[in-house]
Amino acid sequence: MKQYLSAALASVILIASCRKEGDGTGTGTKVTVATVRDLPADTIIGISPIGQPFGAGKFTFYSLERNEVVPPTDSATRRWDIGLRGTTLITNSGNSGPGTGGAFVFVGLFEDLLRVPADSAFRTDNAPTNYAIPAGSNRAWFVYNPQANLVTPIPGRVLVIRTAGGKYAKVEVLNYYKGGQTPAVTAPDDDKIRKQRFYTFRFAFQPDGSTSF
Amino acid sequence: MRSLPPFFCLLAGLVPDPTMAQSDVDTLPGRALDEVVVTATRTERRMGGLSVPVTTVGREAIRRSGSLRLGDILAEQTGLAIVQGFGRGIQLQGLSPEYTLVLVDGEPLIGRMGGVFDLSRVTVGNIRRIEIVRGPSSSLYGSEALGGVVNIITDGAGSGRVGADLRYGRFNTSDISAEASRRAGRLRVSAFLNHNASEGYSLLPNALQQTVEPFRRATGQVQLGYTASPRLSLRMSVRAAEDRIRNTILVQNLGSRLLSRGYEQNRDVNLAPTLVWKPRERVTATLRGYVTRYGSDQRLDVAEQSGGYADRFRQTFHRLEAQTDIRTGLRARSTIGLGSVMETVRSNRYDSLETRRQARNDYVFLQHDWQPSERSAVTLGFRYDHNSLYRAVWSPKLSLHRRLGERWRLQASVGRGFKAPDFRQLYLNYTNLAAGGYMVFGTQVAGAEMRRLQAEGQIAQVLPRFDDLQALRPETSTGINAGVQFQASPRLLWKVNAFRNEIGNLILTDIIAFRTGGGQVFSYVNVNRAHTQGLESDLEWTPASRLRLSLGHQLLQTADRGVLADIRAGRVFGRDASTGSSSRLDRRDYAGLPGRSKHMANLKVFLTSADGRWNANLRLLYRSRWGTVDVDGNGIINRPDETAPGYLQVNVAAGLRIRKGISLQAGVDNLTDHRDPSNLPGLPGINPYLTVSWSMPRTPASSTPKHPQP
Repeated sequence: MKQYLSAALASVILIASCRKEGDGTGTGTKVTVATVRDLPADTIIGISPIGQPFGAGKFTFYSLERNEVVPPTDSATRRWDIGLRGTTLITNSGNSGPGTGGAFVFVGLFEDLLRVPADSAFRTDNAPTNYAIPAGSNRAWFVYNPQANLVTPIPGRVLVIRTAGGKYAKVEVLNYYKGGQTPAVTAPDDDKIRKQRFYTFRFAFQPDGSTSF
Repeated sequence: MRSLPPFFCLLAGLVPDPTMAQSDVDTLPGRALDEVVVTATRTERRMGGLSVPVTTVGREAIRRSGSLRLGDILAEQTGLAIVQGFGRGIQLQGLSPEYTLVLVDGEPLIGRMGGVFDLSRVTVGNIRRIEIVRGPSSSLYGSEALGGVVNIITDGAGSGRVGADLRYGRFNTSDISAEASRRAGRLRVSAFLNHNASEGYSLLPNALQQTVEPFRRATGQVQLGYTASPRLSLRMSVRAAEDRIRNTILVQNLGSRLLSRGYEQNRDVNLAPTLVWKPRERVTATLRGYVTRYGSDQRLDVAEQSGGYADRFRQTFHRLEAQTDIRTGLRARSTIGLGSVMETVRSNRYDSLETRRQARNDYVFLQHDWQPSERSAVTLGFRYDHNSLYRAVWSPKLSLHRRLGERWRLQASVGRGFKAPDFRQLYLNYTNLAAGGYMVFGTQVAGAEMRRLQAEGQIAQVLPRFDDLQALRPETSTGINAGVQFQASPRLLWKVNAFRNEIGNLILTDIIAFRTGGGQVFSYVNVNRAHTQGLESDLEWTPASRLRLSLGHQLLQTADRGVLADIRAGRVFGRDASTGSSSRLDRRDYAGLPGRSKHMANLKVFLTSADGRWNANLRLLYRSRWGTVDVDGNGIINRPDETAPGYLQVNVAAGLRIRKGISLQAGVDNLTDHRDPSNLPGLPGINPYLTVSWSMPRTPASSTPKHPQP
């Protein structure tokens, strides 16, 4: 488990691409955009007799505030902001965690989202039927193509996250496969199964508690 | 030798062709407009007087092109693309295979898989002529005739032909055809047999699973005609076909291999009795019966698993139809028809093999056409379909024809077409355990199945779509065709046709609910609207009597209207393949519906020696790039890596008559050995073949009598 965690940590690369407020109306705090690569999220460990691949069923917890993986032992704390298991994303809210988290899906470009709209309705988790970030293909951040057997993040979908501590972050999932490269449609199923459930995403966290990015 | 009564020729499949005796088709462009076709109006008409775009392909063109199956020859026609998936389907005016009706002698072939009628099921060995009508034709043919109609006219009894063909080609492909036709007094009889087999091929080296698995197909047909009196004649056609295709599926998961072996077997039988009665000079009444059955079995034995997998599908289609044609004066005629169809399906894909699902469809159609002057003609028709499962449908059509001088002809038509929801969309009951546990329910069973799942606590969330399910409507289209024919000289004919099809109520699978655990539940809903539009152009040129050239081109543009609206609203994004960054897309980024090429073109050169002993031809087929699969997650085709590269296929063939009655043909399909395993699985590499043909010389008495024109 430790190896797994350290590998995940090592894979987190911080891109120090700072930029200023877009509209100049915010508090002026610089927002850092970080990219997390190859974050495993309940990777495949076997295939059921009916051919369905499965993982261990465990979430990977991540703190957007501190930009680090949170050990599963802290799952009942406010130390994490999002949890990832397969294509299911949870927030530290509702029955998922004790935090004051939440989320909604913004349709548009990551760069264009400079402020959480005033009328935004953050949803909270009500597992297993209703998550803040709706589970399932073509609902929130990804689409699953059964013919190609591939999961692809939908371009122009930004997950607006309220962190466990009530601050705001925006997340864009870039890829679901190891190395940040979706296998070709014609790649063998074996490849598609082994490499899936490794997230590459970028995010911006606003530490000052304001709604601007 | 007595003439065939003209009304007899109204039967699809028995249109006498005065040129048939020696060379069936060597149609000079100048004469192409005199050719008689039946599909456009369900009565016999000359090509030149038609107000809708029709293409015909004759027996000689089919033979010289070395075609074996229906898909081979259709692929060489302007604007027709072969679509792979559930066999080989035909794309006409940019519409998917399920929107083109395929008929044999005017009767529909059944047994579509995933909406596709596999053109490989039909041999071309006994085809006299293929008629392709473009544009909605539901006003005459009802459901499925949105894009158009492909009518295969088989060699009728009475052709007097006795012969056989034997062909052998690469991949151990063999094709044997034999036919015999006799005329004895009032009775005409013909029989035809075909056997086609191949080892198949693999486009990928060392693959356990071949690209095309070994198959064998057999077809038999017997036709009888009897002229009881000048006023009464009968005809009967019996056709049976069987395919058997090996099926190997290899699944590799985390190092473990699961190899399944099995086969697919399809059978269909058609029985078509027809009675034609001509009570008066100007009245022809036709009574047609049609009984067809289709059965498909798929069997897979999965290694290390007992039971394996078996899929069985049974479909029947029974139809009775009466059609009356009345000539009212010299310049007007009316057609009225009414009929009833009973269709049944049972399959373990639905509830069980024991549960029979059925639909009844009653219909009436009317067509009136008149010539206000020598130079113009107007055709007005409509059809009303009343079905037991879905809402009634009206299909009107209006078409106009006008001659301008001796050289120009204008034609224009507007019509509506529809496709009824099929049994799959109504009754499918399918659970896929392997790919995430998704389920698909037809709209008629979705309610009960959802109640069952909810009672079992399997449903996490029901979407609003579920409430719309009860009202599945037929898919409809409105099509406009407008064209010009220019007869520059007796040797040069140019035809151009502009078309636009506006399609509504497209039925798509969509999510109606989520299961606990995230699995999706799908059903069918009327959602999308789409359009296809383009320009078809055909140039036929005969520079010398033994040299014939043709050049065809289709320009095509398609779009999903919902996607266009989303793009206008700025809600469609794409992801760059190299940088991974997202950007907003505009109209120019959208490449339209998948599987459609912007350009398709063909160039054909047919050459015959002066003494008729030998002939040769060259056929070039071009298709520009087309959309394949969405890669960047936005559901549309917008990136180069979401398309298949365009290609040029070169086919050549040459024939030689060795002595009277015996001839040889050698040909090479795909001369340049073009291969694209992922996008063109149906195109093997270079494919040479040799055919030996024998035909019994015909006595002058058995040649087709001259047919008095109506």
